[in-house]
Amino acid sequence: MNAIEVNNVSKSFKNYIDKPNTLKERFLRVGKNNYQEHWVLKSINLHIKCGETVALVGRNGSGKSTLLKLMTKILYPSSGEIIVRGRVSSLLELGAGFHPDFTGRENIYMNASILGLTKKEIDYRLNDIIRFSELDEYIDQPIRIYSSGMYMRLAFSVAISVEPDVLLVDEVLAVGDAAFQNKCIEKIKELKGKGTTIVIVAHDNGVVEKICDRAVWLHNGEIADVGRPRDIVMKYMNALAEIENKRLLREQQEEQEQQVQLAKSDQQNESINNGVSIQVEEKPVSHSKNRTGNQKIEITDVAFCDPEGVRKQNFRTGTPMYIHIYYKVNQTYENAVFGIGIFTSDNTCCYATNTYIDHYSVEQLGKSGVVICKIDPLMLIPATYFVDIAVHHENGEPYDYLTRLYSFQVSSDIRDQGIARLKHSWEINYSDGGSK
Amino acid sequence: MNIFQELFSYRQMLKSMVLSDLRTRYKGSILGFLWTFINPLLTLLVYTIVFSTIMRMNIEHYSVFMFIGLLPWINFSTSLLTSSGIIIRNSNLVKKIYFPHEILPLSNVIGGIINYLFGLVILCAAILLDGMTFSYHVVYFPVILLLQFILTLALSFIVSSVTVYFRDIEHILGALIMAWFYFTPIIYPESMIVEKYKFLFDLNPIRPIFISYQNIFYYHQEPNWNDLTICYGFSLVLLVIGWFIFRRLNRNIAEEL
Repeated sequence: MNAIEVNNVSKSFKNYIDKPNTLKERFLRVGKNNYQEHWVLKSINLHIKCGETVALVGRNGSGKSTLLKLMTKILYPSSGEIIVRGRVSSLLELGAGFHPDFTGRENIYMNASILGLTKKEIDYRLNDIIRFSELDEYIDQPIRIYSSGMYMRLAFSVAISVEPDVLLVDEVLAVGDAAFQNKCIEKIKELKGKGTTIVIVAHDNGVVEKICDRAVWLHNGEIADVGRPRDIVMKYMNALAEIENKRLLREQQEEQEQQVQLAKSDQQNESINNGVSIQVEEKPVSHSKNRTGNQKIEITDVAFCDPEGVRKQNFRTGTPMYIHIYYKVNQTYENAVFGIGIFTSDNTCCYATNTYIDHYSVEQLGKSGVVICKIDPLMLIPATYFVDIAVHHENGEPYDYLTRLYSFQVSSDIRDQGIARLKHSWEINYSDGGSK
Repeated sequence: MNIFQELFSYRQMLKSMVLSDLRTRYKGSILGFLWTFINPLLTLLVYTIVFSTIMRMNIEHYSVFMFIGLLPWINFSTSLLTSSGIIIRNSNLVKKIYFPHEILPLSNVIGGIINYLFGLVILCAAILLDGMTFSYHVVYFPVILLLQFILTLALSFIVSSVTVYFRDIEHILGALIMAWFYFTPIIYPESMIVEKYKFLFDLNPIRPIFISYQNIFYYHQEPNWNDLTICYGFSLVLLVIGWFIFRRLNRNIAEEL
């Protein structure tokens, strides 16, 4: 049997441009549609079976919370219907209705009653709630003296004690310290074991994979995909990385444009001062203190790309990254060496090499072109990395040296630590006694 | 689950709300709960001084007479005024947790009635101190109280939900209630109303409540059962209408807040 049935549900909010809240305004604006309809959910169909644990993932504003609020009946759908069977408890916001002047114990009664428990039921659960909240000696103190962690612990303990048939959880698992968080997850698992249907909005992908049977990916008010938590989270994270990529690229572009503008105006100023007009030249790579060299060979652009040559800012660990170094030859040069260096934000060098070290001989450069450094696979762990790009003479004479002018990001699902993911595997060889 | 069952299952919340309202009303003040008694006492004092020395009324035991009507009036008017903003004030609850919203005006009205009952202690003391007595007619008190409760609740349902959509109501209500006060025989006996306009005053739906209170406490007579019955009928119909409006407006209330 389905515990929750969401049938073709849509929900729109009215975005009032200037909300008529008073009678006068209402009367003055009769018939004027001074709002825009904003569809938060569009024809959502979702059936959740009894005892199933379902995760909702998606970006901010994708409609996760709205869907949860519709299930709780705080909001009503604009069209379609929602059927929820059994006693519902929602952890949308912890501690709603807490009164700061009341003691923890009194607030337990107050809060639990708002969640729909009767006096008898609360009496029965009181000790469990207090024990779970770990507030023993503070329980008879007014909660205004509580720390925010204690407050949240008490609130969560009350909310979870309802023992509902359907539990709706909205990003509230980030309560208390790590130990208490684990306890919360254990408690949710315990409820799951008892057959409680759980719908959980999660950003912590560990939670999704640990306790959920199914994941629903909401995107812009529509269900983008439903399936096994692992797969969905993967897809979702990939999509996120993609979006992040675009954003970073756009930002970079804007920055460059700004710098070109700045450079232009600088040059113009100079030319006015000198009384000589110099033709303004476009320089996509900025001139700054981060750049040294005599420019015999000039680096005109640097791009991080995938093997197809598409520019990216965000790479998944283990995927290939090609660094394209565009150059232009300005004067005669000898024995040019191209090099790259990858650094973390705290200036640790992760890896640095050049064509000389790698015995790659640079012979013909022509007038301009591109040098590609192919890193495949890129085994850096998730972080932002800064890059040095250089072209210089074999003996060290710098032609063009760009220090930390470029950066890229790495993301991954695996939570290993350090700088790089070393290729590894595990093995256990054991023996049962015998040798003493 | 139908709404009555649901309301019943949330009875503990209703109780908690009423209790916390009573407990926190004077929280932080030095005299605390005593204010529940001091407030009506001070009102009684002021009105007695004004009407016995400045605007002299030719009525025996006038201060008691006036107080009999004034106490339920204070209850009625404050209940309406506080009800009108109650959903807005509790918006953090309404937006975050599901519960039958009827609890909010209901707890407010019940809290008001309980406060009124505390005030009655002062009234009884005043009656005895003024050398008056009680008659058996006070047994009808619960009947009138229930009527007052139903009517207050009905109006509270309406104003509490409508105010969310039209915030002006809260202010309009203030003026309206002041006018209503003078058009209801509270500080003057019904007999003072000019015969020509009496039909207008008869239309006032809360009039029978106050007349009945005066009947049982001051005149020591049976309430006008005819009037009371009509008033009961009116109040019950209004309660159904009010609740209907409340339910209807409630669907989108979380968005409007």
